[in-house]
Amino acid sequence: MEHLTSETFDANARAALNDAQLRGALRNATSLFGKRRLAAAQSVSNWEDLRTQARRIKDETLLHLDKYLEAFTSNAEKAGAQIHWARDGAEANEIVKRIVRERRGRLVVKSKSMTTEEIHLNAALEAVGVEALETDLGEYIIQLAGETPSHIIAPAIHKTRYQIADLFVDKLGIAKTDDIATLTATARSVLRGKFAAADVGISGVNFGVAETGTILILENEGNIRLTTSLPRTHIAVMGIEKVIPHFADLEVFLKLLPRSGTGQHLTSYQSLITGTKRAPDGEGPDELHIIVMDNGRSKMLAHPTTRQSLACIRCGACLNACPVYQQIGGHAYGSVYPGPIGAVITPQLIGLKKAAQLPYASSLCGACREVCPVKIDIPELLLHLRAEITERAEVSGQRSETVKRKAGERMAFKCWAAVMTRPRLYEFGGKMAGFLQRLIVRGNRIGKVGGLVATLAPPLAAWTGSRDLRPIEAKSFRQKWRERGATVRGGSAS
Amino acid sequence: MQSIRAHLAESARVDSDHVHAAAIVSEQTPATSPVVVSPVSSFRERLESVGGHCVTVRDEDEAARALAGIVSELQAKDGAKRIALSDALLLTVLTRGITVPEITVCPAASDLFSYDVGISTAQAGIAETGTLILEVEKERHRLVSLLPPVHIAIVKSGDIHLTIGEALTALRGDDENSLSRAITFITGPSRTADIELTLTVGVHGPKELYVIVIDGHDAGNQ
Repeated sequence: MEHLTSETFDANARAALNDAQLRGALRNATSLFGKRRLAAAQSVSNWEDLRTQARRIKDETLLHLDKYLEAFTSNAEKAGAQIHWARDGAEANEIVKRIVRERRGRLVVKSKSMTTEEIHLNAALEAVGVEALETDLGEYIIQLAGETPSHIIAPAIHKTRYQIADLFVDKLGIAKTDDIATLTATARSVLRGKFAAADVGISGVNFGVAETGTILILENEGNIRLTTSLPRTHIAVMGIEKVIPHFADLEVFLKLLPRSGTGQHLTSYQSLITGTKRAPDGEGPDELHIIVMDNGRSKMLAHPTTRQSLACIRCGACLNACPVYQQIGGHAYGSVYPGPIGAVITPQLIGLKKAAQLPYASSLCGACREVCPVKIDIPELLLHLRAEITERAEVSGQRSETVKRKAGERMAFKCWAAVMTRPRLYEFGGKMAGFLQRLIVRGNRIGKVGGLVATLAPPLAAWTGSRDLRPIEAKSFRQKWRERGATVRGGSAS
Repeated sequence: MQSIRAHLAESARVDSDHVHAAAIVSEQTPATSPVVVSPVSSFRERLESVGGHCVTVRDEDEAARALAGIVSELQAKDGAKRIALSDALLLTVLTRGITVPEITVCPAASDLFSYDVGISTAQAGIAETGTLILEVEKERHRLVSLLPPVHIAIVKSGDIHLTIGEALTALRGDDENSLSRAITFITGPSRTADIELTLTVGVHGPKELYVIVIDGHDAGNQ
């Protein structure tokens, strides 16, 4: 599969729209997750209170992130963890490589972690001759296929069982089967051998508790338990935004995250790890390394609008709710973070220049905001980023196609505002438009598509390129209202 | 850290709701279930809804019989031969009635992969979610509960908390050292839906989870 980037979003999206199999899979996945989320949210009486509480906890943490990070790291160290600070992905990868090298590690087992996907840790390890194996079933499948995740919660939803069967026949040498239980059992037995032999286990972190230094990781499969229990060394990679103040705060997030992600009341397993074991002969790893990584996150702290991006708990609910994601899937975004949250996080992480199309990959319908368990106002963020893109383009004096179009748009909106604030002019304009619409409707195609306008002349063709337009009514609303008013008054008088 | 501080300082300037939002947030008391149901029946209902099996017994004798029953069922069904136990004292009493070719207490990790059944106790439970809580420092059950395809756990009804919040409060304890270094919450068998969203159990952890709840006067009911 070719490598997709955020810079080529428009082309990626167009290609995805022509992929019938992908769209079928997306339709199933997003509608199923959406329904399950709704049912799970309704299973608690105080869902809205939980969302408000969760957001307050995140806001409080982010406002004093330095204080909470210091508390988290010092408490984790007290419990025996080793803390490493990484300013960016390259530093984080260097730290991991050094830890693995010092332990003469050859094989690393990994559990699903968006953060390590973000910094391309697997490639960095492979470059120094260390095998880094994904153990989450979905991640394992896409790693075998040489692909990237297409959904935060279900990384391989874009693949059918037949494609996965072919992949397993090819890479693992099994007999052909399309039985999902057999495919799953195959992955189980192959990976068990790897767990037994691995030198180092690498995981992500869902929440880091400041007051105790605890890390909490949620899962369903059991591979995180294996990754964090069997190898002698455990490395956990966490973004700076994962910290929360109190152990008791976990309750709210344990109620919100599984319900929002998969619609479960609780995922099958939670691992709560606080430093290393007290008894040297106890079960579990001898060492715990926690890598606390910034990689562009602290920039988002600087403004109250962008800061809320860091409240995200990576549940994936906004992906399932998004009418854009539902059609194009995760790969089109060209980033590990797809969907609405990806459209706001990716440009902030990799720079607006490299992801300028992403903030426009939305109809601003607000469905993402409705489902977000931490009430992130994603439409507000998208508009904020769009404004930033436009301002920057003007400051730097760029005269790209986009900017020219923006100038035209601005003129059009000025005219629109002038007309809208003058009722008589508006009414006159409406009448004129009714007559004139015949002229700008190309090929006189009113009525061809269920009475809708299929194609307008440029530059308005940009609008009808992907939508049909309702033609202007022969009689305006005001006109009908006046006539109706006359009838009603006439009626009551008789 | 410098860059975090620098950006926070900048945010303090631009952020008008700074003072307002700084109010301490995490001191709300967690909502408790308004409906009074028996923790055991709620625990059982939730556990069964996610595919776990639950047996309620009145005392240790009954628990031993239930355990022997489950094991002989597994012998007949899957040909289970090798059983691994955690080091919980209670298990030496409860497993007396079991007859299989091999019962080992805490086998080495590398051997555990080939065992058919793992038996442990659980330190606590959560009724509202059907969850078992395993505190690794109190029992050697981190791997016994994870590697064999079947996990059987014994929990006392008096240790089952109503809500996640109550369980977290109990785990946190009063002083700095009361929190266990490794805690596992288990709710049902291992599951995945990564292939075509089709639910499959037993992907990396146990395929089957049996819980025996000892619900008697000696179980110290709350």
